[in-house]
Formats: sequence, C-alpha cells, structure tokens
Amino acid sequence: MKFLILNGNPLGGNGNIDPYIDHLVEEMKSAGHDVMAIALRDLKISPCIGCFQCWVKTPGLCSINDDARDITRQFIASEHVILASPLTMGFPSYLLKNAMDRNICIVHPHLEEVDGEVHHKKRYDRYPVISYLLEKEASTDEEDIAILKDIFRRQAINMWSSVGFIHFTQSPVEEIIHAITVH
Amino acid sequence: MQLLFINGSPRGKKSNTGRLMEHFIRGFTETSGSTCEVEYLVKYKNNLKALMEKFSASDNVIIGFPLYIDAMPGSVKAFLEALAPLEGRADLPALGFMIQCGFPETAHIRFTARYCEKFSHRIGCRFLGCILKGGCEGLDVQPTFLTEKYFNLFCMLGADFGKTGKLDEDILIKLARPEHLSAQNMAMVIPFINQALWDAQMEKNGVLDLSFDRPLMP
Repeated sequence: MKFLILNGNPLGGNGNIDPYIDHLVEEMKSAGHDVMAIALRDLKISPCIGCFQCWVKTPGLCSINDDARDITRQFIASEHVILASPLTMGFPSYLLKNAMDRNICIVHPHLEEVDGEVHHKKRYDRYPVISYLLEKEASTDEEDIAILKDIFRRQAINMWSSVGFIHFTQSPVEEIIHAITVH
Repeated sequence: MQLLFINGSPRGKKSNTGRLMEHFIRGFTETSGSTCEVEYLVKYKNNLKALMEKFSASDNVIIGFPLYIDAMPGSVKAFLEALAPLEGRADLPALGFMIQCGFPETAHIRFTARYCEKFSHRIGCRFLGCILKGGCEGLDVQPTFLTEKYFNLFCMLGADFGKTGKLDEDILIKLARPEHLSAQNMAMVIPFINQALWDAQMEKNGVLDLSFDRPLMP
C-alpha cells in the first residue's frame, strides 16, 4: 500500500511530532509499506487565492506553480494519506491547511447530490483514504476532538475520501501500524 | 460603538465575503456614533502581529471568511494562530464571525461555526455569534431578485447590531436559509449552477471539452 505523510509541523514548532513521524516511517517500512514523508515547512506552498482557474481555465491544474502542485500529484497517487500536525488553537496548523486548500483541483466544479446534500463531482477515479496524526496542546479537550472529527469527516466527503484513523502522538506508533495493517 | 471587521477572504477587496460585509456595515453605521474599520487579512500576510494588535485594541471584532475545504482558509488559520499570545488576557474584544460558502446549503458551514465558537471561548473573547450564508459563489452574476433579499437582511442585522451590540438570532436563522435543499429544489439548482456558473466560464475560456481533465493522473 502506498502511503504519503504530510508533516504540517511549522518551522520552530516544539513538541515531539517530528521524531514521532521518523519512528513511524521506520516502523511502516519494516512492515513492508511504501511510505514517503514530506515536511511542508521545507516547501514553497502559497495559500489558495480562490481564483478557480483550476476549475475554469486549466482544468485540474492550479494557477500557482509552486511545490503544492507536486504535493497534489503525490496526494492523488497515494492510497492512504496521513496528515500530521500539532494542534494550535484547536486545529491543525495553517501550513497543513494551506496545502489542503491547494488540493481543490482534484475535484470538479460541477455539483451533484450526495446523500441529500450538494457536493462536487469527482475528477479522478479514486481518492486516498485520509488519516490524522495529531499532537494535542495543553488545552485540548473532548469538545475539541469532537469538533475536529466532524470537520475531518466533512472534508473527506468533499474529497471523495473517507477518514481512516485519528491518532494522537501520546499513543505508541505500534497502534498506527496495527490500524493500517487491519485497514 | 466601535467595530473592527477583518475580511479574511484570500480574494481581498474583490470577494463575496466583502459584498456581504458591505451590506452589514451599511446597516451598522446607520446608528450615530457607530464606527467601523475594515482590514483585509491579505494585506497583513507578512505582518500578522500588527493585525493582532489592532484586534486586541478593539471593542468588537467580526472575522469574515469563505469556507475552504470545509473550514477556514489556511491564511485565516495563520491569523488565528497569531492571536494565541492574547489567550486569557483581560479586555479582549467581543468576537463574531461571518462565514459564507459557495454550496447552496448553509449546513456545510455549521461544523466550522462550532470551531469558531470554541475558538472564542478558548482565547477568552465574549462570543457574538456566527453569521452564516450559503449560496455565495458568484454574487456578482446572481440575479438581483435573489441577492436583494439577503443583502437587506445583512443590512438589518448590521443595523440591529449597531443598536444592541448583539447579533439577532431571528435574522441569523433567516439568513441561514436554506439549511438543506429539498429534493425538488436540488433538481433545479444543481443544473443551473453547473451551467450558468461553471460551464459558462469554461466555455468562455475555451476549455469546456477539457472540463474533466486529469493532469495529475499518476
């Protein structure tokens, strides 16, 4: 199975998510998975400017030619994407969100009905499962996690994906290895 | 009454968020003594600290933004992170949000609105509420009979806020309609949006036949 880990830990971020990801990658490789981890902070990813050129001018391709294009290419080529980030102010980092915003080109502007709601049509035949590896902040509580779970579920619906696991760095790496092995 | 309106749209001045904001402010400034300052987040992208200082010096702040992938745009999240040093400080402004989306139903925005409410509590701002409106893509090309009604509601909401310092629940509920579309409504709205909004632009750009292209196909 082809995995992509997007590490949204910003420059100068504290905490232990970077070594956690290193350990996770090692364990995944020894379990035989094809895995690539990318640190978003090392790349040039401008925010989406809402121009919709990726829908109406160059269908499927963002008008901004920076590293986000390659991230989107890797995203769609993967079977399972793990979005990794510390929580800050109750949400994953702006760095990760900027990268995800640039992925809007993987769906089509046309709307259709999905389970009684309006959503965008597919552009590609298949989309990766999306999982989360998060580092809690001191104030993270059950309500924060419930809010995030809902938003992640909604994001998955709009990207023709599903949420795999939501895992926190306080639990051992082996739990993820178990989750992806039985997935 | 003083209000700082932060327009968090990545499109800046030419944004659907800005169109809604203008009508809200038009009503708000009807009350004598009400002053509203507008700041565009895009102008502060390399100096979020300056906007954080304006935020903390205000009595009331409304942050407006479009829904991007079911949440706030990354640039708005960057600003919310820049507000972290204010957490728990006394004399923070009362905080509200104005969130719009292109999807015709407001239901899409409810999840992020809940985040925004929690954000207000986390930082220690009195929460004013969330102004939510679906169906906001292409406001400039939407027929006047459609937009006039809710532009007026935004104006009424602003006027009432100027007088009471509160966002009127009844107007918020009216603005949020439709929360969901009926099957009948959906059958009408979907082809209309697909053709009038999207196909028309693709046709103008000569790419309608490339509409379903997969340039990043592995």
